[in-house]
Amino acid sequence: MSTVFASREQLKRQILAEGRQYSRGVPVSIRQVSIALGGRTVLKDFDVEIPSCEFVAVVGRSGCGKSTLLRSIIGLETLQEGAISIGRNAQSRPDVRIMFQDSRLLPWKRVLQNVALGLDSSFTPQAERVLAQVGLADRAHDWPATLSGGQRQRVALARALVHDPSLLLLDEPLGALDALTRIEMQELIEKIWWNRGFTAVLVTHDVAEAITLADRVILIEGGGVALDLFVDLPRPRARGSARFAAMEDRILQRVLQHRASAIDEAKARVNGNEEVR
Amino acid sequence: MSAGAMVDVPRGRTLASGNGIANIAERALPWLVPIALLIVWQWASSTGRLPSRFLPSPRAILKSFVELRSSGELWTHVRVSTERALSGFAVGGGLGLILGLLTGSFRWVETLLDTTLQMIRNIPALALIPLVILWFGIDESAKLFLVALGVFFPIYINTFHGIQSVDRGLLEMGRSYGLSRWALYREVILPGALPSILVGVRFSLGFMWVMLIVAETISARSGIGYMTMNAREFMQTDVMVVGILLYALLGKLADLLSKGLERYWLRWHPAHQSAR
Repeated sequence: MSTVFASREQLKRQILAEGRQYSRGVPVSIRQVSIALGGRTVLKDFDVEIPSCEFVAVVGRSGCGKSTLLRSIIGLETLQEGAISIGRNAQSRPDVRIMFQDSRLLPWKRVLQNVALGLDSSFTPQAERVLAQVGLADRAHDWPATLSGGQRQRVALARALVHDPSLLLLDEPLGALDALTRIEMQELIEKIWWNRGFTAVLVTHDVAEAITLADRVILIEGGGVALDLFVDLPRPRARGSARFAAMEDRILQRVLQHRASAIDEAKARVNGNEEVR
Repeated sequence: MSAGAMVDVPRGRTLASGNGIANIAERALPWLVPIALLIVWQWASSTGRLPSRFLPSPRAILKSFVELRSSGELWTHVRVSTERALSGFAVGGGLGLILGLLTGSFRWVETLLDTTLQMIRNIPALALIPLVILWFGIDESAKLFLVALGVFFPIYINTFHGIQSVDRGLLEMGRSYGLSRWALYREVILPGALPSILVGVRFSLGFMWVMLIVAETISARSGIGYMTMNAREFMQTDVMVVGILLYALLGKLADLLSKGLERYWLRWHPAHQSAR
């Protein structure tokens, strides 16, 4: 984790040199996708290509369609137009898992049974291993109701990982956690992603979180891609560094600019944000 | 996990785990009012303020209870009544559960049946008694029918409601994790509906006794209802009170049973977490 990468190419070279499995992750291709919810167009002619093993963060204001995008990748929303393909060819059916903002554990199943949901009992050792990976081996036989919010999200993460997914979708999984637990979880997710090499798509409100974790940050606005930024910071990323702050500032300003144009000009002048970018 | 350790403290025990005297006092507290009432009652009877024709003294009631028990009469009546209650519950509750599961799970069954069932539900079950006597006469099937009818709706409605109100988020999660239809039903929908179904069971146990009492007082040749009605003919107020108390006792037993089921089946529920 201490290696420094200057660019995406260097990152890839490094991955290959490490012998990291580059085949586990699958590419995701989102082409000309339009989605309407309740008569309102949420995404319009949306185009994004995500290469294998990349960690992509999707940011944007509430209701901009970033969660809808994620849900459409796993098939929970119907596309009006366009196509989403996962994997290199049409035949393969890669394993896609999603983690929600709320843990969505089944309260009537113990932690270990929740992790092994939908698997037969031969997978129990594997479930135990993954649970140990997220640091909750000692809570395997507890009810979810006795866990804290952060622990529940860990269990949800373990439940997603036990299937060894090639694509992991994260729908604001850390949104409801306190600041310290959130940092812990970010480190955990980064570590597991790094070791397993799946493709990850993270939807988040938190620009700093996006920059901490992602190879690439996509800002959605008005149903399309407003900004597509490659984060060329070395991992693990220090939040305090000047480049981190500059990047965070750049994305935030871009988000705020949209608001400034939406409200009346007088207010925008007070904000003094017109000149940015 | 230090946060976990804090959650692990068993709740609800703090009150009872005090010293011995406080413990006894707490256990005795619920019985204070009934015992005081009994004492006042016995006093009023033995001083003649409460004529035994109107209400017999607790001691007389106890005496007739012992007599009824030793003659074996009591046991026969209790057994007959319990059998009626339980078989009615099995028929009505079973039908309510099955229909509730069907209307809750399949839209077209709901469209087909729910309106009809809601119309029937709004007829007071006791209004059917003249018809029931006409249909079934005054033998066992009439009592079975009345009990089953009373038990049916609380279970039907709560099962239906329970299935409808299963957390959509959990269903979505189950689907995206590739659970088959049946697995989704078994792992998510049924356990999710269970708390509501058990509420229905508790309600229906109450109705079960009401319907049974009515059925047995109309016409019967055995059972607690028959015993009380028979005692009325001979002005045996003590036997009548024994019968009434038996209903109370059986009702309480049924309630304990359903509470026990809840404690077992809902042991995952935050409300039952102290029994970990």
